[in-house]
Amino acid sequence: MKTIFITIMLLAALMSTTVGHAKGDDFNSVVKMIEHFYRVKHQGIPFLAKTGMKVATTAARIKGGQAKRIAEAGSIKLAVFEDQNFAGDFMKFRASLNDALNVTWMPLIQTLSGKNEEQVYIFLKSAGEKYDVLVVTIEQRDASVVQVTLSSKNLAILLRDPEATGKAITEEATISDPE
Amino acid sequence: MKSLFQTNMKTPLLAVLLVFATAFVARAQGSRIQLSSLDHLAAKASQSVDVTIDERLMKVAAKAFSDKDADEREVKKLVAGIKGIYVKSFEFDAEGQYSAADVESIRTQLRAPGWSRLVNFTSKKEGSLEVYMLMEGDQIGGLAVLSVDEKEFTIVNIVGPVDLEKLARLEGQLGVPELGLEPTKPKTKNEKN
Repeated sequence: MKTIFITIMLLAALMSTTVGHAKGDDFNSVVKMIEHFYRVKHQGIPFLAKTGMKVATTAARIKGGQAKRIAEAGSIKLAVFEDQNFAGDFMKFRASLNDALNVTWMPLIQTLSGKNEEQVYIFLKSAGEKYDVLVVTIEQRDASVVQVTLSSKNLAILLRDPEATGKAITEEATISDPE
Repeated sequence: MKSLFQTNMKTPLLAVLLVFATAFVARAQGSRIQLSSLDHLAAKASQSVDVTIDERLMKVAAKAFSDKDADEREVKKLVAGIKGIYVKSFEFDAEGQYSAADVESIRTQLRAPGWSRLVNFTSKKEGSLEVYMLMEGDQIGGLAVLSVDEKEFTIVNIVGPVDLEKLARLEGQLGVPELGLEPTKPKTKNEKN
């Protein structure tokens, strides 16, 4: 009886930890998860702006609102990892990511490219009348985590073509404008 | 001694409960095919795509598509009643990356009562395409498409009332890959006569 009670208590504790983790700031949790798993460090937008790296213009673009073609204005959260080593067991990473997010986020599409060692994960959750979308892209040397809020109209675009729209969300948030 | 007896009894009891729970889940899932047995192929594949549009997401999708836009109205009609779309697709650089057991892990589920094979196309060049339908009474409960060739392995599972016509129209949308199923064209006056 005692054993069953302890098991139930342990399971309850484990579940509350998992739910708590997933309900918190999932964007930061995913960034930390990438940092921990691949032993890398993300660069914040202010740092990139100072160093004039390619993502510097991204901050301006976000501020200027160009990315709101898909994302709702002011909704973008972005973390970028540049020129670091992302060698690792992507199957393990995928499992950890899914475990962490599956409680509150709905997985939409996950693509893995063995050739380019590229991984793309798109998760979705309701945010009142709108929808939050989390796009995680990991390549051999670079990675990004983008969270945006979409209107119902733009969610329809994402659902119709998840792969291309997910890529467009990341590109809008991270690729510098041709100058 | 008593506690040892209790411990020994607990294990089979838990096992029995687990079996019942598994059976219940399997029954509740209906036309949902278990695809996790294929997950290991992602490590060998040059490209793998995993689409999961479950019932929660289908409800979101039904709300997201507008009645005002003609295209969206069309998609909304297509997805009405669908409870899930699940796709796993693998592309390989070389032959022999997936085994007969991998294919069999899917086919076994499609031999279950209620499932029947509608299409079985095999060609040396293009591989094979099998389409299965699950009937629940006189209603369609779901569809499964298994497309394999030497360097590709794709399984599409749609849960809910969807026929081949609908599936063909869903190709290229909502993560459903192009399967080469031709939607039937509306009959002309001459064809009708």
